[in-house]
Amino acid sequence: MLRKLTTLATLAFALVTTQVHADATIDKAAPDFSAKTADGKTIDLASLKGKTVVLEWTNHECPFVKKHYDKSGNIPALQKEFTAKGITWLQVISSAPGKQGNVDGATAIKLNKDRNAAPTNTILDPEGTLAKLYGAQTTPHFFIINDKGVLVYKGGVDSVASSKIEDIAGATNYVRESLNAIAAGQKVASPSTKPYGCSIKFAG
Amino acid sequence: MRISRFLISVLLLLTVEAAYSVDDNPSTHKALTNTASTEQVAASLVASVDAVHPGSEIYLGVNQRIIPNWHTYWTNPGDSGLPTTIEWSLPSGASAGDILWPIPSRFSLGSITNYGYSNEVTLLSKVRVPVNASVGETFAVQALVDWLVCNEECIPQQVQLSLSLPIVAASTPTGVGSPLILSALAQLPVDSPWPVELKPLDGGFSLEVGLTLEQIKQIKDIWFYPADWGVLTQNIPQPYKVTKNGLAIQLKSGEAPLKANQALNGVLVISEQTDQGLLQTGFSVTQVPQQAATPTNNIGFISALLLALLGGIILNLMPCVFPVLSLKALSLVSHANQSPRQIRLQGWVYTLGVLASFTFLAVLLIVLKAGGAQIGWGFQFQSPIFVLSVAYLMFVVGLSLSGVFIVGGSIAGAGSSLADRGGYSGSFFTGVLATIVATPCTAPFMAAALGYALAQPAPTLLAIFLSLGFGLALPYLLLANWPRLQRWLPRPGLWMERTKEVFAFPMYATAAWLVWVLAQQAGPNAVIVALSGMILLGFAAWLYNTTRNTSERTERVGAGFVFLLVALAFILGYKGLQANSSLHEAATNQQEKNWEPYSAERLDALLAEGKPVFLNFTAAWCISCLVNERVALSDSKVVEAFETSGITYLKGDWTKRDEKITQFLTTFGRSGVPLYVFYPAGKNVRPVELPQVLTPDIVLNAISPSL
Repeated sequence: MLRKLTTLATLAFALVTTQVHADATIDKAAPDFSAKTADGKTIDLASLKGKTVVLEWTNHECPFVKKHYDKSGNIPALQKEFTAKGITWLQVISSAPGKQGNVDGATAIKLNKDRNAAPTNTILDPEGTLAKLYGAQTTPHFFIINDKGVLVYKGGVDSVASSKIEDIAGATNYVRESLNAIAAGQKVASPSTKPYGCSIKFAG
Repeated sequence: MRISRFLISVLLLLTVEAAYSVDDNPSTHKALTNTASTEQVAASLVASVDAVHPGSEIYLGVNQRIIPNWHTYWTNPGDSGLPTTIEWSLPSGASAGDILWPIPSRFSLGSITNYGYSNEVTLLSKVRVPVNASVGETFAVQALVDWLVCNEECIPQQVQLSLSLPIVAASTPTGVGSPLILSALAQLPVDSPWPVELKPLDGGFSLEVGLTLEQIKQIKDIWFYPADWGVLTQNIPQPYKVTKNGLAIQLKSGEAPLKANQALNGVLVISEQTDQGLLQTGFSVTQVPQQAATPTNNIGFISALLLALLGGIILNLMPCVFPVLSLKALSLVSHANQSPRQIRLQGWVYTLGVLASFTFLAVLLIVLKAGGAQIGWGFQFQSPIFVLSVAYLMFVVGLSLSGVFIVGGSIAGAGSSLADRGGYSGSFFTGVLATIVATPCTAPFMAAALGYALAQPAPTLLAIFLSLGFGLALPYLLLANWPRLQRWLPRPGLWMERTKEVFAFPMYATAAWLVWVLAQQAGPNAVIVALSGMILLGFAAWLYNTTRNTSERTERVGAGFVFLLVALAFILGYKGLQANSSLHEAATNQQEKNWEPYSAERLDALLAEGKPVFLNFTAAWCISCLVNERVALSDSKVVEAFETSGITYLKGDWTKRDEKITQFLTTFGRSGVPLYVFYPAGKNVRPVELPQVLTPDIVLNAISPSL
């Protein structure tokens, strides 16, 4: 009896610890979340089962984000291309209040309109909870979850870590590559790449 | 005259450049200068020289002075950020190398860890001046420098810098250049003076550095900076523990773990508390993780077993085995008065005898090896005494084969008398005898297999020895089981005697080779020691044989003398080699040791004579001291410069915190080591204090006025 109890306790402990360390790991179920969006609603990952989901950490004042938004239109173009194909594209803003890139819902929506961006929605994560859950560190930083809720990509937008627009042309766009592979039912070629950019502006 | 004119031209050049650098805004820079500033970073382009020689190699450095709380990045920026890049525009024929990255610092902000530089950094590049650069013209370079500077926010910035250096003839000095270059060189990582190993752990690695306990106690901070993204998880602590081999740092693999046989590259930075504050030393690390035992080892093991079996079979043909074995063993087999079953059993008992002896040998070796490993004595040909002993053995076996004396008469006699008994104990001891006579032959011919076995864990070693023994026993075992095979064997006769005599010569050759090995190890005098010992052994062999078949008394006296002579040969060898090696050591030490121990009296005496003196205060536990000695003070150019300028190099050992040295340190306002002081030649000179981190160039520059 005692032995059974110990086993149970160990199992429970293991479960708890795995829950705590529910890192975003490639080929594993993506950590579930429920978060507030810019339009005042709540979105949870479980409800998006059956759809491919892109999580894009962003900060409109970060020079690396500017490179791919205002200056080149690179990321807005990706958003349009893939939301048109039925993919759910969620921006995540994890800048803490008072820090660079922290905005309210209305500003977030306006910024996207001004920048010609077209994500499905924008998650406001000023406590950085979602960023920490997924281990997001930079802006931009991408995570792609397939229709079965499995994490299939994490990393940078493309292969050339720089702040220069000129480098976009020669870079491999990992996000496009991965989304196309998923659509074709193939395995993602580079499931984990180096994210590059500004650090996420957490509180503290 | 020429020099002053040169100085004027440099000054003029600088004035002209300064005039251009009034404009501070990089975006509107039209005329380039060697400085440019942004709101966060003041950059300048500096060189290791004031003028260049055609065909020379110089250092160019991009110096960044960064405002407080902001930083730029290392080659691996860490979890975010971008490394600084430099794009050179050089005169045709010139070339620039990659950035030489000074040791980085780490900046942790929550879950993000970055590697980079705060306050100030100089990024060096080696630049080659073309051989055909024309003297009188200028060597003009431009650098387009891109960096990302961050505190919490990040700003990508770009500046363009230029520098023109006069090209001068080889006879004109190039000047000392910017001091920034020297301090940057001192910040580059160096090779580790301690052994570094990388062992795989679950989900990561253990990076082990052979620091002593005393050195470990000095460490305030230690961090391994991986050169590539993703190889390690960067935003977690790197805990370390003290092991019997030194320090073991635990590293966790990251998003892009190392592939098989891929090396972990990076810099290990150790911060040590000195009286002048924290002192950082960086060590380049390129380590392929050691492989855990893999199935390939088993394949090696099986082939080693087969080799040992084959070797054992071949041993039957060896000069030390064949004559004895064929005489004793064959006679045993041909004992016609035994039933085939008995003979077969004899064969197995013989095999058992061989295997028992080999087991005994293996256990002996395992014990020796365990003991040897503990006292640090390699059971190999590294010990000159061991080499000498084997050389003696080969020589004596050769003498025996040549017929100077009859090998192991008493052992063989005992063996044969036992064998003659015809019982199973006789067969067993024939097996033991075969092993005994075979052993001397195994040393030179089986060295490789034995070497493999010795490097293996005990069970493997035992298995290999047993396989070897079984190989030795196999032919006889077959003969015992199929007596008809005997017909295929040549009959013993005079040919065996001749063969035996011929086999003496390979023995002599082996002995000669071993004496040569000995000479390499212990110096040329070892040759006379070894040869004298062999003469003694030769005399002993002759004496043994001539007194053997005489009266019992003479035989006993003879045996006594023989024992004495053999002992003498070994004592001579032992003493001779010891004296030799200490001489050898003294000679090499003299060559390497270019310093004298420090004493206040010696220093005063030298200063009174007006001699230049270089002082080095060090301690065994001081990490940076050791690195400075390895990197800078043992550098051949520095050693040569000390010698040519007649500098006396005094070394003060503060390992035990010597009171007199402490007093001396206090006069320099210091309470600890390292301290480097140079007294130029002349009386009442002002001592020059050197920085705590040295490079050969820093030392050479400091002592150059006396050159």
